[in-house]
Amino acid sequence: MSETKTATGGGPSRREFLKAAGFTFAGALVGGCQRAPEQEAIPPLSQPEDIVAGRPSYYASTCDACRAGCGMLVKSYDGRPIKLEGNPEHPLSRGGLCAAGQAALLGLYDRLRLQHPSREGQENSWEEIDRDIRDRLHDLRGRGGLRVLTGTVTSPTIQASVTRFLKHMRENGDFADAKHVAYDPLSCSAILDAHERTGGSRVLPRYHLDRAEVIAGFDADFLGTWLSPVEFTHAYRVGRPLTGDPPRSSYHVQVESRLSLTGSKADERVCVAPEEMRAVLARLAVAVARQAGAPLDAADELSPSLAGFCDRLALRLWQARGHSLVLCGSQDVPTQVVCNFINHRLENYGATLDIDRPSLQRQGSDRDLATLLHDLDAGKIAALFILDSNPVYDLPDGEGLARALRQVPLVVCCAERLDETARLARYVCPHPHYLESWGDAEAVSGVIGLRQPTIPRLGETRPVIESLAAWAGAPKPAYDLLREHWKDHVLPRQARERDFEAFWDRSVHDGYAEVDPDPDRVRPKDFNLAKAQAALQAPAAADRGQTLVLYSKVGMPDGSHAYNPWLQELPDPISKVTWDNYACLSPDAAAQLGLGDGDVVRVEVRDGALELPVRVQPGQHDRVVAVALGYGSIVSERFAGIGPPWLEARPTVGENGLVGQNAAALLAWEGGTLRYARAVEKLTKTGKKHPLALTQTYDTLTLPAHLAPPGQERRPLVQEIGLSRLARKPAAPPHEDKPADLWPNDHPCPEHRWGMVIDLNACTGCSACVIACQAENNVPVVGRDEVRRHREMHWLRIDRYYSGAGAAVEVAHQPMLCQHCERAPCETVCPVLATVHSDEGLNEQVYNRCVGTRYCANNCPYKVRRFNWFAYAHEDKLQNLALNPDVTVRSRGVMEKCTFCVQRLQEAKIEARLRGEHLHDGEVQTACQQSCPARAIVFGDLNDRASQVARLRDDPRHYHTLAELNIGPAVGYLKVVRNRPDDGEGQRHD
Amino acid sequence: MTEVYPPLRQPLVAGDKSLADVTQEVCAPLERRSTALWWLAFLAALSLLALGVAAVYYQVTTGIGTWGLNRSVGWAFDITNFVFWIGIGHAGTLISAILFLFRQRWRTAVNRSAEAMTIFAVTCAGLFPVIHMGRPWLFYWMLPIPNTRGPLWINFDSALTWDFFAITTYFLISLTFWYVGLLPDLATVRDRAKPGWRRRLLAFVSLGWNGSYRTWHRYETLYLLLAGLATPLVVSVHSIVSMDFATSMLPGWHTTIFPPYFVAGAIFSGMAMVLTLMLIARKVMHLQDYITVRHVDAMGKIVLATSCMVGLAYAIEMFSALLSPNPYEQFTFLNRAQGPLGWGYAIMVTCNVLLPQLLWLRRFRTNLAAVWVLSIFINVGMWFERFVIITTSLERDFLPSSWADYAPTSIELATLAGSFGLFFTCFLLFCRFLPMIAIAEIKGVLRIGREGPAVEPRDPASAEASALAGVSRLDGNQGVKP
Amino acid sequence: MKRVLVGSFATEEHILGAARAAREHGLRIADAYTPYAVHGLDRAMGLRPSRLPWVCFGLGLLGAVFKLAFQFWAMAVDWPINVGGKPWNSLPAYVPVTFEVMVLLAGLGVVLAFLLRCRLLPGKQATPLFRGATDDTFLLALERPEDPGDVSVVSQLFRDFHAVRVAESEL
Repeated sequence: MSETKTATGGGPSRREFLKAAGFTFAGALVGGCQRAPEQEAIPPLSQPEDIVAGRPSYYASTCDACRAGCGMLVKSYDGRPIKLEGNPEHPLSRGGLCAAGQAALLGLYDRLRLQHPSREGQENSWEEIDRDIRDRLHDLRGRGGLRVLTGTVTSPTIQASVTRFLKHMRENGDFADAKHVAYDPLSCSAILDAHERTGGSRVLPRYHLDRAEVIAGFDADFLGTWLSPVEFTHAYRVGRPLTGDPPRSSYHVQVESRLSLTGSKADERVCVAPEEMRAVLARLAVAVARQAGAPLDAADELSPSLAGFCDRLALRLWQARGHSLVLCGSQDVPTQVVCNFINHRLENYGATLDIDRPSLQRQGSDRDLATLLHDLDAGKIAALFILDSNPVYDLPDGEGLARALRQVPLVVCCAERLDETARLARYVCPHPHYLESWGDAEAVSGVIGLRQPTIPRLGETRPVIESLAAWAGAPKPAYDLLREHWKDHVLPRQARERDFEAFWDRSVHDGYAEVDPDPDRVRPKDFNLAKAQAALQAPAAADRGQTLVLYSKVGMPDGSHAYNPWLQELPDPISKVTWDNYACLSPDAAAQLGLGDGDVVRVEVRDGALELPVRVQPGQHDRVVAVALGYGSIVSERFAGIGPPWLEARPTVGENGLVGQNAAALLAWEGGTLRYARAVEKLTKTGKKHPLALTQTYDTLTLPAHLAPPGQERRPLVQEIGLSRLARKPAAPPHEDKPADLWPNDHPCPEHRWGMVIDLNACTGCSACVIACQAENNVPVVGRDEVRRHREMHWLRIDRYYSGAGAAVEVAHQPMLCQHCERAPCETVCPVLATVHSDEGLNEQVYNRCVGTRYCANNCPYKVRRFNWFAYAHEDKLQNLALNPDVTVRSRGVMEKCTFCVQRLQEAKIEARLRGEHLHDGEVQTACQQSCPARAIVFGDLNDRASQVARLRDDPRHYHTLAELNIGPAVGYLKVVRNRPDDGEGQRHD
Repeated sequence: MTEVYPPLRQPLVAGDKSLADVTQEVCAPLERRSTALWWLAFLAALSLLALGVAAVYYQVTTGIGTWGLNRSVGWAFDITNFVFWIGIGHAGTLISAILFLFRQRWRTAVNRSAEAMTIFAVTCAGLFPVIHMGRPWLFYWMLPIPNTRGPLWINFDSALTWDFFAITTYFLISLTFWYVGLLPDLATVRDRAKPGWRRRLLAFVSLGWNGSYRTWHRYETLYLLLAGLATPLVVSVHSIVSMDFATSMLPGWHTTIFPPYFVAGAIFSGMAMVLTLMLIARKVMHLQDYITVRHVDAMGKIVLATSCMVGLAYAIEMFSALLSPNPYEQFTFLNRAQGPLGWGYAIMVTCNVLLPQLLWLRRFRTNLAAVWVLSIFINVGMWFERFVIITTSLERDFLPSSWADYAPTSIELATLAGSFGLFFTCFLLFCRFLPMIAIAEIKGVLRIGREGPAVEPRDPASAEASALAGVSRLDGNQGVKP
Repeated sequence: MKRVLVGSFATEEHILGAARAAREHGLRIADAYTPYAVHGLDRAMGLRPSRLPWVCFGLGLLGAVFKLAFQFWAMAVDWPINVGGKPWNSLPAYVPVTFEVMVLLAGLGVVLAFLLRCRLLPGKQATPLFRGATDDTFLLALERPEDPGDVSVVSQLFRDFHAVRVAESEL
């Protein structure tokens, strides 16, 4: 019932928005894009000096999609943010922005976002709510504890106001033990606890992958979802430049139980059951200690092969000591302690791990959380303030927690959406989207990102800090609070600027400030070897049954993104499934149970069970069942109606009315931490079917055995080369033998000839480019059923190919987009000249001329053309505000495809002409290129011999996919480089 | 154009008929009330048509997404049906034009309905390229018409453009050819009709034909000219249809053998359809004397011949693919035969190549029931040929990442059914309201293989008498009103 | 308006004979009316071969030339567009459409010419006198000679060839 209220809440907010936007001309424009009556638009009375109608302006800000705190630029049209891009100057993200970060834009224009404060589901005014809460607090004084429950708080200002609020409560409110409890949906508590043991302070080190020559990852998906993927991806890329002689590249070993994105890029990948992980690390520790000449004895029950692997790895790590890095994603504290020991022995602390300027991206403490939950059950808590987090969804036994929450006299929830927790709160105090308000974030000690509002608030929302201040009895606008904090606490931490205003302006302009680490933080003490050795002695749990592994997906880091249609429809880079979570089983395990893709299986653990469709996943350990978190959130109810309605259409949501199912219910508490791996009691076939919406149904470049022409079993679409072979190869341009043409090319490109080169070795498949393209080019979301029918609309997709079989599978990612062929097959066959070639080498699609014969798509060898099978939804007027005004919204029945972001090319050319100079290389970037964290995509003018793209064309690794067709693609690829010990044999794809 | 018929030649028309008998028997069904059987067939056809209309309406209003197509398979049922129906059409032209040029006089019995079949088939075919468009209401953009965009003309390099011109030309020429052939018979029917709207209508459409020999004389020339034009036309049309595929890049489509292969296939399937229809019509319309076993026998031979050509094409295609250095080509054909749609390939080979070999046996050729059953199999087989060629190549082409299977939706099935509905509705109306047999031509061949004059002169006396009477009156200078 | 003597015959032999004889006697044959195209009657009546083939050829040529020219103009001259890097003037690609248009124009044109030449127009009424000619009678219409003597020759001639009926009418 409160649901319907918020649903209708969209209307008024829109009108409000229009009023506000009027002052920036947006009224007329927005009115245009949502067919609103003209009179709703208010003409500008005075022209704001920094906004020119029809011209985008960029604001530096900081991403809030997760706690990584990446810097970003907000592209804003007439006061209307339409795209989020990476900030190239940002010290952490360096211009990259992940899929989730870019997709967060839709959160701003979310019709179902909370717009008004409410009490017991009834809309209400802030004044009344505040008075109410203060009264309740007054009544409850001394009647029990007060807790503020949050996720990791990276914002110094919020942290400060929480502290202030608690202080106020302790002193004036008689809540003697008022406390702040932080937890993380994807907890890394064990790492912090381990460092508390070994280093005396609860810190999360900052990992410098760029400085590491040997990287060993243990169940840490650092390129995908772990801590700070964008930062890590960029650093990882820096660590393997393939320049110099011999070509330099870090050596990456990944030890994991399921095939993660990181594993897919590893030079050497070992598949180990989760419960063996600790033993493997222990063995590695022993081996490293032996290398270090300080042998220690430890229990060791490893298979010879694994033991051998550990010794080899230990040697390699030791040789690169000080330039090596061991990362561990385990939630088992002793295991983490062992990991710390290894890094310590390898002298990596201070080199590749920084604990003096630690990462603040995870601060949650599972121990505190456990205590809080216990107190809640015991009814010791009188008042609970939940700030921007959703424990009822995130934590196991949500029902139990819900029951407990109902008993708490005062529950206040600051949320963006009416999620599982907000539904239980007596008071719901919506806070604005981070694009609507001021804010800051210190993701890594010493790097403070700043947020500025880029649009007037769409609803009667209020920043958390304002609310806290109000409840603490000292109401103040967020802007002032923020500035005060910066003046008092940030300004002193740097020496460059003395004058606050100047410092502030620069920080707002840059979107971040680099300062000294917080002086009043406890410094880590020397490494405590004794504790570490104790951990080594502790026996590892030897469990030989099936293990359930709960992981988070690149496209769906946690439940807070479940509202986002772009992310829901983003194919998982490994499994290629959209709109669902599922139980990954290794091919053998699936075969044993007689299961295939889409068969529903029942996964039972001690205190719970889930029925999920199966996805057969090569590269996964046979005793592992992997299920993604972040699905089955109540906010995904909204997708019941998504997708074109027609006779045979099937709903996007499952029987539960939601997208996927919440696997957090199966999380386990163990040794004081939340565990993402636990024993499976029973795994049974239900006989039900739930066909998955896959964007890629055939997974390898190897043809089906009975259909493969002898000697042609593998298609050379993705090509590989061994590192040593690359070293040997002279850097001469690769001459693909060009077949003679039947006619002279009488179509010169006088000015520009646009081209692209994609480095398959750098590409991690993180899919940031896919979302970038979707946002830039108004690519519609089509819903689960349409994807199942192979009608996804993504202009840019990432093809993922396996080679090899079982656990030893190798993965290649190949971004595939329109290749803008010089002799494009699609153009010749179009009867109405709807797709033609420009004199800048672009393959252009003329939407309004297209009649939709689909001949072009049939004739496209890369199958990158997308057809508007239906009139795809643009009913959500509010969401339409996210549309890019520079790009046509395609109508039903026309073909569409990648345009090389022609609108950006035109804009750049005009700008250049206005400046009266030529377009310089790198001045124009395609959307996909802009946000690629790995800088894998290079775009430019091939006519300009000096341009980066032209130079890369002469790289020995450069090749064209399907070059033999002689259609002259403008997109080239750089071969994957395999850095194997048994190197040189890596010619699988050649 | 004098021809000498050896007296021993067996008659083309059985049952020793006089000219008047021919007129009477052919026109009888048109003047009788329709039989219950006809009504039954007509209602059945009509309801199929209605189903199809509903499906197409839904598809055009909702979106082409109501078909089972996807990003990889852009054509399937639509173009399959298109090629299938065009193929059906070609037999009509073959019979009326090519056999005419080859002086195959036996064609006269079947050419009229074969031509009718052509027109209806081409109508069905013509619908698909239009409704398969994403925006069918803009189909006229395929024409080079002056417009506000420059004017922007069309792409004459595209096989679809060629196709559009070919189909239009083919339809118009076939229609004219048919109508010209119909003229004298319309006059015959007109002159038998009782005064009333039907007669007035016939008078209007028969353009005042009165059997003048000066007209007949030019008519013969005209007919020859049209036949001469239609013959290369029919070859060009299906060659161009095949170029929709042959000029593309897709393995399994990009094949130089397609034009002859498709033309042979077209005539093959068309002949089968002619047999299907004729064998029913001769029973229902009591035309056994005109469509004799001999006709079936002759058509059986053509079917056999074309079947062998098609078989040869299949073999060469597979052979050259497997021996080609092009791995994609090789894979496509292995996939066609053994891939997900292998069963379709099996049906196509069985129905189009293996079963027709029975026609070597004279006993089989002259067993009408058997031939009819076979003709059905061939129709099915030829539909699958097109389906297999189009779909298998699209389902699995260059990039394995884009391989996607195809399955038709209810809407597509309904549309296919609808096209049959349209075809049979038209054909039944034709049987009901127009002479199914070319009366004038039959009369021309009536006496082939018969000794002496078809009609014995009346006994001299009466002849004298009437003649004298006439003259006497002539002497009296009075004209006689007949 | 000329008066004619019309003899109706039952078989094509009779009318053929009658026609030949009539020309031997120097009688002028106005026209003949037959249920089907009786072979040889044209020679018997001394008709010259039709000129329709020339019409057909001319129109065909016109269509072909026009279409070829148009395609070249549209693709290479009026608005040259780079389509798949093909040459501006890709002649081979123009052949199919050229051929189709040639056939179309020739076919429709020749039929039109035929109808006009034979004055076969929609709604035109046929003379009732010759109604039998669309069924099973063969009619031979001779122009009525001036002197009565020749008229008897005509009736004699009709009689010799078993005319079923003789009548006089106007054309």
